Amino acid sequence: MSDYKIECISLCMEYLSKNQRVNALEDINLHINKNDTILLKGRSGAGKSTLLNLMCGLIKPTSGKVIIDNICINELPDDRLSNLLSEKIGIIFQSFNLLPTYTVYENIEIAIVPKGFKVSLVKEYIMSYLEKFNLKDKAYLLPTELSVGQQQKIAIIRTLIKQPSIIFADEPTGSVDEETAGEILTHLVNFKKENGVTLVIATHGNISEEFADRIYTIENGRIKTEPL
Amino acid sequence: MSGYALSTLFILLVLSVTLTNEKSSFGILKGTGTHFIIYIPTNTSCCVNCNNEDSKGSLVAEGVNTIMLTSDLIDSVKKIKGVRDAAPYLLYRLHESKYSADISLGGIDMNSIATTNNVCAKTNLVAGKFLSDKPDELVAEESFAMAHNLAVGDTLKAYGGRFLLAGIINSGIKPGKADVYAPIGNVRRILRDDLKCISPGFDMNIILVEVSDSRIQSQVISQLKDKMKYFTISSYNCYQPASEVMTIIEKGSTLLIVLIFIFLLIFTTKTQLTSLMERSREIGILKSLGWSNTRLCNQIILISLIQALIGVALGILTGLLIILLMNSNQIRLFNLVEFNFRIRVIPVLIALSLIGGLMAGILPIIKLYRTKAGDMINNYM
Repeated sequence: MSDYKIECISLCMEYLSKNQRVNALEDINLHINKNDTILLKGRSGAGKSTLLNLMCGLIKPTSGKVIIDNICINELPDDRLSNLLSEKIGIIFQSFNLLPTYTVYENIEIAIVPKGFKVSLVKEYIMSYLEKFNLKDKAYLLPTELSVGQQQKIAIIRTLIKQPSIIFADEPTGSVDEETAGEILTHLVNFKKENGVTLVIATHGNISEEFADRIYTIENGRIKTEPL
Repeated sequence: MSGYALSTLFILLVLSVTLTNEKSSFGILKGTGTHFIIYIPTNTSCCVNCNNEDSKGSLVAEGVNTIMLTSDLIDSVKKIKGVRDAAPYLLYRLHESKYSADISLGGIDMNSIATTNNVCAKTNLVAGKFLSDKPDELVAEESFAMAHNLAVGDTLKAYGGRFLLAGIINSGIKPGKADVYAPIGNVRRILRDDLKCISPGFDMNIILVEVSDSRIQSQVISQLKDKMKYFTISSYNCYQPASEVMTIIEKGSTLLIVLIFIFLLIFTTKTQLTSLMERSREIGILKSLGWSNTRLCNQIILISLIQALIGVALGILTGLLIILLMNSNQIRLFNLVEFNFRIRVIPVLIALSLIGGLMAGILPIIKLYRTKAGDMINNYM
């Protein structure tokens, strides 16, 4: 039994590009403690998003293992992985991944459908989150009717409303202005304080290192620096 | 959805024509050549009592002498699978010097479809009235009546008695055709009591047979030949081309329906797959939020079935509208076949469409299970 919340062991990821094998990640070994905030830094294309996707089980590694709470998620059957994703893991995507034909309300609602919340409580619950983010009046608009910053906030609400114990955030402030970025980080930090979550944030450098318990730099698919 | 609607429409129209076909041309063909006669030929040229001058006639079938049969044979024939009806027939031929001709007398069972198709029926009447149970009434074939200048109401002196010509019929070409006809009970009485020609218990010399469907006629004949080896079976064989034509029509319609169903499956599966590709990002996002494959499968199947149901409803309504329009304007296929909407095809169409919907959902579900959420979001399917 390991004491780590998340472990990556000899993680490798290859993919084919124009019939050539490209090593997206090579021999990644990471050990993340419970409730730590980790910054994965690196330039665009360094492999940060791939690593995040691997850590939350959205893609399969070419080799190596990802272990969360002592469970190797690469070997989990799909339905157990779905359970893990709905109960423990929250993902904030770089491109928000909001569904364009769903309203803001529905985009948030789909995150708690697998948790089987009582229908009567769902609306109140969603509205309370929207209020926290000052977006209550936007509940029945489509994502395309919102600003980029508002879209990112909706994506974050969709993650936080699940009450996950681990949050993987891919450039959560990458597309927004400084003020909104500050707001978003405050929300994340507050949530972490209130709920005690493990936070893994990929960034190309616009997030202050003071938020992090550990920082890893990724370059050309490898971890370049040891944690501080 | 349009695939389901189009396929339903085509199947509905094909079925509406096929069903009308079954009612009209198919029905006619089915009843073509479904009859034949059976008898046992013999070389004896007279009846039981050959010394009697009045009994110099003979029991015949198709120009040859026959022996008498017992009526229990009718039940044996009726028991053969595919036999719709069997009836006794008594055909007696006697030379009447008054008319300088051999006159054949047919004794018929008037309530039998086998008699109608093998000998004659009330519908063949061209003058007068058809037979009743009166003992002294006959009907004559039109050709016989004309040859001997007989008209309705005339008296025919023959078979040792006097008979009233009640009606004249034209039965066409039939295997059991005679010159004159009377109810079989009357003919039995004449032959038994007046002409002393048959013994009690022997009630007929020919069995008339009607088969339920011309396509099984040859099977019925084979079974009869196996069971009744001494019998001659005489059929006009017109059931064979009818049977072939029917098989072609039937197989053609089935093939068309199968082809349309295959088209439905390919089209809807392709549509579902395209829809899955288009929705792969959405499905990937849902998977990343913890939606299980089972929940997503249920959604795909549900959507597929709803599309199938809406499609089949649209197809049926459009088909019904087309059929109503064509019939109200008296538009017919090849100027012959009427489109006919049958309620009973609706469950078939719904079932076909739902099967199509289920099958169309299978490939997308396989894709769903085999693809990770991240690949779906990035469209690497």
